[in-house]
Amino acid sequence: MSGFSARSRVAVVGYAQSPIVRHADRPLGAIALDVARSAVADAGLRVDQVDGFTTGALLPTSGNHAVVDGVSVVTSNWLAENLGATPRYVAGFQGFGQIPGAVMMAVNAVASGAAEYVVVHRALHNPPSGRYHGNPMTTAPGAMQWSAPQGFFGPLAMIALPFNEYLQRYGATREDMAAVVTEARANGARIPWSYWHGRPIEPRDYVDARVIADPVCILDCDIPVDGVAAFVLTSAERARDLPNRPVYVSGYGMGNPTPGRLGGHWTLDDIQGAGRVVADRLRDTSGLALSEIDVPQLYDGFSPFVWWWMEAIGLCGEGEAAAFCRDGGIEVAAGGLPVLSGGGALGNGRMHGVPQMLETYLQLSRRAGERQLPSATVGLACHSSANYGGAVLYTADPL
Amino acid sequence: MTESTAAPRPAPVRPVPVPDERSAGYWEAARRGELALARCAGCGTFAHPPSTVCPHCHTADPDFTFVVVPGGGTVRSWTVIRDSFLPGFADDVPFVLVDVELDTQADLRLIGRLLDGPDAALHQGDRVAIAFEHPTADVAVPAFRLEAVTP
Repeated sequence: MSGFSARSRVAVVGYAQSPIVRHADRPLGAIALDVARSAVADAGLRVDQVDGFTTGALLPTSGNHAVVDGVSVVTSNWLAENLGATPRYVAGFQGFGQIPGAVMMAVNAVASGAAEYVVVHRALHNPPSGRYHGNPMTTAPGAMQWSAPQGFFGPLAMIALPFNEYLQRYGATREDMAAVVTEARANGARIPWSYWHGRPIEPRDYVDARVIADPVCILDCDIPVDGVAAFVLTSAERARDLPNRPVYVSGYGMGNPTPGRLGGHWTLDDIQGAGRVVADRLRDTSGLALSEIDVPQLYDGFSPFVWWWMEAIGLCGEGEAAAFCRDGGIEVAAGGLPVLSGGGALGNGRMHGVPQMLETYLQLSRRAGERQLPSATVGLACHSSANYGGAVLYTADPL
Repeated sequence: MTESTAAPRPAPVRPVPVPDERSAGYWEAARRGELALARCAGCGTFAHPPSTVCPHCHTADPDFTFVVVPGGGTVRSWTVIRDSFLPGFADDVPFVLVDVELDTQADLRLIGRLLDGPDAALHQGDRVAIAFEHPTADVAVPAFRLEAVTP
C-alpha cells in the first residue's frame, strides 16, 4: 500500500519543442522563452496563469565548460523571471534523472495545491567549442583523485564497464546492439524535428562504427545538441476544460540512492538492483501491473540502457534483452514493442529524457500523427539509468 | 595556426592526484608500493573511496584508518580506452581498465589500468594482483597485473 494520493490527479495538457540542432543560432534562453510560451499556448493558457516552474538544469558534460544561466543552462528561476511570470512555486531537481525528477516535483506541487499550472522544461546545450567531455585537468583533487589518475574518466568509460559486464555475463555481443541503435535511428529518421531526420543507418554502419571504449562505439552515444522542450501540467479537474486530451501522471519511481563508489563507477548489479526498485515503486504508485504498459519509452542516451530498462520493467527476462532485440522484438515497423517509437535520444539527439516523455505524451493524447500506435493507454517515460534516474508512468484515462 | 614554428611543448602530464586529509594515507602507501584502504573504526568495514560517513554502518564519525591490504582480486569487467578525454594519455591509448572486486571484502571494487597491455585475453573472474604505475617520479597510482595462470 503506497498511499500515493497524487495518482491520476495531475495531467500533462500541452507541450512545445524547438528544432533539435547541433548548434543553435540563438542563445539557449531565448529558445527556451519561445518554447515555454508555445507550450503554454498549446495548453490553451496564458503565461500569467502559470504559477509553477520545475526543471533539472544540469549540463551533462564532463568537460570544463562554463555554466551560464540563460546561455548554457536554463534554470526554472531564469525562465520564470524572463517570461515575466509571478510563480508561487519554482524548484529545480538536482542530479540525474532530470526529466522524471522535474515531473515528480511538478506533480507534487499541483497535487498539493502549491501551484495550479506548472511548466516543466528542459534545455540542452552543446557548447560551441572543445570536445563535449574533454577535460584539460592536470591535477585531480577531491573526488577526481580516485579515478582520473588512472585514466578512468567520463561517461563513455562509465558505461563501458557495465555494458561489457553484461555482454560477458550473458554471452551477448556488441553486434547484438545494432538492433537497438538502428531502430532508434529508423524512427528518428521519420521525425521532422530530429537532428537525424532522414538519416537512418544500417546494421553494418553500427558494426563498423569507431569504438571509443570497448564495447562502446560512437553510435552507442546520443549526439550533443541544442534543444528545448516544455510541458504544461495541471490538475485533472482543470485539464478537462483545456483543449488537448489530458494525459494523466499515474505513478513514478526513482532508483536512488545507489551505493557510493568511485565517481562514474556503475556496476551491472547496481543497475539491475535499482531497476527492481524502480519497478516496485511504479507498481506501488500506480497500482498497475507493468505488463499493462503498451507505450514503454525506454531511455537510450547510451544504447545499453535500453536492454537494462527492458529487463527492469519485465518486457523480457534478465539477460534476455540482447537476443530479444536481435530477433526483432523492438522493431516497431514489424509489430515489435514500441520502446523506441519516438526515436529516443539516439534517434533525436541528446535531449535527455525528453524524447521518451514527448512520445509518451503524444501517443497517449493521440497526437502522434503518422506514428500513432493503435493501442496507447499506459505509457512509461524512462530517463537515465535506474540507478541514477527513474521513470514516470502515464495513463490515457485516470485510474 | 603558427604552432609549427613554436618551441616544442612538453608532453601533457596525466592528472596528478592531490592528496587531502581523507586520502593522504592511500597515496603515501602507494608510493611505498602498497595498497592501503580506509577502514571504519566503528564497524571495521572498508570503504573506497572514503567519504565523510561510513557507507556500511552510517556513522558520521568513521575515523577511517588506512590499512594495507593484499590487493589481489578478480576481474568483474573491463574496457579498452581507445580515445581518452584527459590530457597525458595520448601515448598510452589503447589501454585497459579493469573493474576489480578485491579479495578483502565482498563488493569492494577498485578500477585501475591493467599493465599487461591492450591485447591481454580477459575473462570475468580472472585473477589480478595489485601493481603500481608512476606517471611522474613522485606519484604512484594503483594498477593491476594478471596473475600467472597455473595449469
